[in-house]
Amino acid sequence: MHKSPIIEWHGLNIDLSVVLMLVVSCLVVFLLAFIATRNLSVENPGKLQNFIEWVVDFVKGLISSNMDMKKGKPFLSLGITLIMFIFVSNMLGLPFGVVTEYHDKEAAHIFGKPIVSVTEQIDKLQAEQTASGEHEEIEVGVAWWKSPTADAGVSMGLAIMIFVMVHFLGITRNTKGYFKHYVQPYVFFLPINLIEQFSKVLTHGMRLYGNIFAGEVLISVLLKLTAFGVGGWIASVAGLVVWQGFSIFVGSIQAFVFTILTFVYLSQALESHEEH
Amino acid sequence: MEFSWESLVFALIAFLILYLLLNKYAFGPLFSVMEKRRELVLQQVEEAKQTREQANVYVEEQKQALQQARKDAYDIIEQSKQTSSKQAAQIIELAKEEAVRLKDEAVRDIENEKNKAVEQLRSEVGVVSVKIASKLIEKEVKDDSVQEELVDQYLKEVGGRS
Repeated sequence: MHKSPIIEWHGLNIDLSVVLMLVVSCLVVFLLAFIATRNLSVENPGKLQNFIEWVVDFVKGLISSNMDMKKGKPFLSLGITLIMFIFVSNMLGLPFGVVTEYHDKEAAHIFGKPIVSVTEQIDKLQAEQTASGEHEEIEVGVAWWKSPTADAGVSMGLAIMIFVMVHFLGITRNTKGYFKHYVQPYVFFLPINLIEQFSKVLTHGMRLYGNIFAGEVLISVLLKLTAFGVGGWIASVAGLVVWQGFSIFVGSIQAFVFTILTFVYLSQALESHEEH
Repeated sequence: MEFSWESLVFALIAFLILYLLLNKYAFGPLFSVMEKRRELVLQQVEEAKQTREQANVYVEEQKQALQQARKDAYDIIEQSKQTSSKQAAQIIELAKEEAVRLKDEAVRDIENEKNKAVEQLRSEVGVVSVKIASKLIEKEVKDDSVQEELVDQYLKEVGGRS
């Protein structure tokens, strides 16, 4: 498995590939939305405008399937940003990868700083080799290009952001209903309800991370098949064709699921339980 | 699985920046345009409704006008039929009167002419007969013996009686 390029900077462990891919994702989404909303026309929308309007209507549909559209309108742009960002992120890792390989610690530097993850790995391998007495060339691959959502930190970051927003809105806008909800239907359900809240945020982020990460792992495994000669190449290409196609599907579904769950949680937090 | 809270924070920052940028540069104009389109569609639907109602009213009016026109045309035809038959009758009447008048005149003229002719003839017959008579008498008188005898006889008879 490839390592992430992590450097230390002012005591922070910065994953450069995540930073790079976040920037790329944001740029792609922003440029897409920005270009699509140039030359807006009321009567004669262009292709890109039609596309972005379709996205808007799609997210509107997601919101109105969960809550009153009047309540949900402020979250429309959040939903659109979420679904576009996650979708683009999921797709970015699919078409290609950028991997650099390092054989010694001296080479593993970027911006004048050592890539911590690589140097650690090299140290570990060297220690293993001296222990076993073998002498093979040490090779550590660093993946620079991947889906940002294939990083647990990013996925959980999004999930935690939603979690915080949902509970903040629940407490401020729906105070009575929000706290009452924890002791529904009886007081002794409180621990279960608390666990539910934390399992929600965990599954919300981990589902996205797991799907995308697993997809990328399988892609790199399929790429390793090429080591087995011609048959391996054929199997690799065939497997990649199938798996890349499926990954597009998985990536779209995960973007959709993440967004709709956001609105489900929102509607649960904003829902007043007066009628119960 | 590598989990670093730094990535989490970066993801949050990146997402927030993206959200704010999109909100400012993309969604604002987009939403306003979609809202405008919605209003436009509503307005056009409203207009279409009104136009249809107007059209219905017009059609109704046209129907009534057509009906009226048909009735008028029928009336006019009826009227003209009546006047034409009346006129025809009048013309025939006039013609008859004229004919009668002409005939009477002609009859009167003929009568006059005949009377005149008869008058003239009568006077001429008188003259002619006088002339004939005088010629005859002249001839009888010239034929001496017979005439003398006849005159004598008359004279005798007149003398004999007296």
